[in-house]
Amino acid sequence: MSGNAAAILKVRDLHTQFNTLDGVVRAVDGVSFDVARGETLGIVGESGCGKSVTALSILRLIPPETGRIAQGSITFDGEELTALSEEAMKGLRGHRISMIFQEPMTSLNPVLTVGTQIAENVVRHLGVPWRAARERACEMLDLVRIADPRRRLDEYPHQLSGGMRQRVMIAMALSCDPQVLIADEPTTALDVTIQAQILQLMLELKEKTGTAIVLITHDLGVVAETTERVVVMYAGRKVEEAPVEALFAEPLHPYTRGLMRAIPRLDVEADAAGTRPRLQEIPGLVPRLTQPIVGCAFAARCGFATERCRTEPPPVVAAGAGHTVACWEVDRVRAGAP
Amino acid sequence: MTAYIVRRLFATLPVMAVVALFVFFLLRFAPGDPAAIIAGEDATAEAIAAVRAKLGLDRPMVEQFFVWTLQLLQGDMGVSIFSNLAVTRLISQRLEPTVALTLSTLFVAVALAIPIGVVAAWKARKLIDRLVMGFAVLGFAMPVFVLAYVLIYFFAVQWQLLPVQGYKPISEGLWPFAESLILPSVALGVTYMALIARITRASMLEVLAQDYIRTANAKGLATDRVLLLHALKNAAVPIVTVIGIGIALLISGVVITETVFNIPGLGRLTVDAVLKRDYPVVQGLILVFAGAKVLVNLVIDISYAFLDPRIRY
Repeated sequence: MSGNAAAILKVRDLHTQFNTLDGVVRAVDGVSFDVARGETLGIVGESGCGKSVTALSILRLIPPETGRIAQGSITFDGEELTALSEEAMKGLRGHRISMIFQEPMTSLNPVLTVGTQIAENVVRHLGVPWRAARERACEMLDLVRIADPRRRLDEYPHQLSGGMRQRVMIAMALSCDPQVLIADEPTTALDVTIQAQILQLMLELKEKTGTAIVLITHDLGVVAETTERVVVMYAGRKVEEAPVEALFAEPLHPYTRGLMRAIPRLDVEADAAGTRPRLQEIPGLVPRLTQPIVGCAFAARCGFATERCRTEPPPVVAAGAGHTVACWEVDRVRAGAP
Repeated sequence: MTAYIVRRLFATLPVMAVVALFVFFLLRFAPGDPAAIIAGEDATAEAIAAVRAKLGLDRPMVEQFFVWTLQLLQGDMGVSIFSNLAVTRLISQRLEPTVALTLSTLFVAVALAIPIGVVAAWKARKLIDRLVMGFAVLGFAMPVFVLAYVLIYFFAVQWQLLPVQGYKPISEGLWPFAESLILPSVALGVTYMALIARITRASMLEVLAQDYIRTANAKGLATDRVLLLHALKNAAVPIVTVIGIGIALLISGVVITETVFNIPGLGRLTVDAVLKRDYPVVQGLILVFAGAKVLVNLVIDISYAFLDPRIRY
C-alpha cells in the first residue's frame, strides 16, 4: 500500500520521543503507514507500544514540554503536517482530522452541556452561527442514535451513561465531516455489549460519510470484526502490516503469532479430561525504550531469534498482496513452531 | 435552590447566637474597665463605681447578657458608652468607606489575580510563570502596613499622583472617591491577590492535565476558549472558595489599612472601641463582621451550583 496515490494520510519514518527522568523514551521509532480514503485501518499492539503516541503525533497533540516529533513526515491530503503552523494545525483538528479517546467518562468537559461541546466544534470550523451549530449538534446526536436529542443537548456529561458519552464523542468528532477519524481504544472502557454497538455505529457512519477510520486497539477481536487492514506495532515499531484476512490467515511476525495465541478461545474443544489448551503468554517483557534498540525489538522474547536478530535491524519482507513483515526469519516462522 | 437558601439563612441564627455569646463574655473577661477610662486617671474608687453603676456594668453578667440580647432581638444594638450614640447609627455612619474599600480591593485583587494565575498555569515553568509567582510570594509575605507606607511614599509624597490619606464619600463625585481608594485597595489587595493567583495557577494546572482539555485541543479550539471556558470553569470552585476565605482576611486587613490611610470606616471604629473597652460598640461590630462572613459563605456555596452542574442543593 505504500506510495498509494489514494492515501489521504501518509506517515513516513515517524519518530516521536519523550524526555523523562530516565532519559529519552523513543515511544515511536520509525513507523510508516498509509491510510486510504474511506478505509478502516487497525493499529494493534500492547500497552506502551506507541499506538496512542502515533495518533497524538498525527494531530500534533504531543505535549511540547515533554515530547516532540524528532523525525519523519506526516502528510495529510498532500500537506506536510510536521511543517504546518500551530494555527493551521488547529484549523485541521476536529475539522478534517478528528479524534476520539479511550475514556468517555473523562473526555467530555463536565461543566459544559453536550450541545455546547458539539456545537462549538461546528462554530469553530464551519463558521456558522451558534443557532445553526446547535441544530447540527442535534442532527449529530440523532445520527449516533441518541434518543430525544433535543433534550440531550442541554444535559451535562454526568447525566449520560458511558456508552452515551462515547456516542457524544463520536457525534462531536464527526460533526464537521472529517476525512480521517482516529479512534484511540474507543470501546476499551465500555461493557462488551455496548462495545459492539459503538463499533457497529462507527462502521455505519463510515459508510455514510466516507470518513477513513484509524482504529487503535489492543483487541484483536475488534480488529478482526471492524478493520480492512492492520498495522501491528511492537516497542514503537511496525512489525507487520497486512489486509485483515491475510493477517488472521497467516500471521508472519512471531509477535503477531504470540498475540493471537494469547487470545482466549471458546471454539477449541476441551479434551476428555475437560481441560482446554492453556493460553500461551509471550515470555519476557516489553523492552525499555530509553535505550536505542539494535536489531529486532522483539528478539529478546522471540523463539525464532538468532544472533543476527539481536544485532541487525530486520528487513521489511513482502509476503503477498499488501502484506509486509519486519523479520529476518520469515521462512522459519512460516515453516512452523521453533 | 430557594428552599436551600432559606434553610441556610435559618442556620445562620445559631451561628450568630454563639458569636454573640462569645463576644459578650470574652470582652467582659478581658482586662480593662470602661468605667475607669471614663472616670479618668485620678478618679477615686467611688467615682469609678458610680460610673459603673450608671452604665449598668455592676449588674450580674448574665443579667447584662439577657438585657443585651433582648435589645438585639428588637434590632437595637445598644448605645456607645462613650459617645452616647446608638451603635446601629455609629456603624451605619462608618459602613460606606469600609464597604467601598472591601469591594474595590476585592475587585482589584480578583481582576488581576485570575488572569495572572491563568497565564502562569498556561506558561507553567516558563520565565513569565516564575516571575509572576515570585512576585506572588513577595506579595504574600509583605505586611499590609509596610506596603501601604511604601506606596504612600512613592505615589503620594514623591510623585504626588494620589492623595496621601483620607476618604471622599461617593457623594462628592466619582473620581475623588475612586482616587482616595486606589492606594488603600492596592495595599490591602496585594496579599489577597497573591493568594488567589497561586490558587488559580494550582487549580488550572490540575485541570489542564485532564482528558477533556486534550479533547478540547483535539477539536482545534482557540487557546483562549480552552483556557477561559473549558479550563477556568472547571478550576473555578477552589478559586471561589479561596476568594471567600480571603474576605475574612480582608476584614482584619481593613482595620490596619483604615488606620494607615486615615479612613473613617468600621476598622477604625473597631480599633477605637476596643481600646476604650466600649463594650456595646465592639459587640455590635463583631456581630456585623460575623454576619458579613456568614453571608459571604452562603453566596460562595450558592455559586458552586452555578459553576459546577454536578453540584445540586
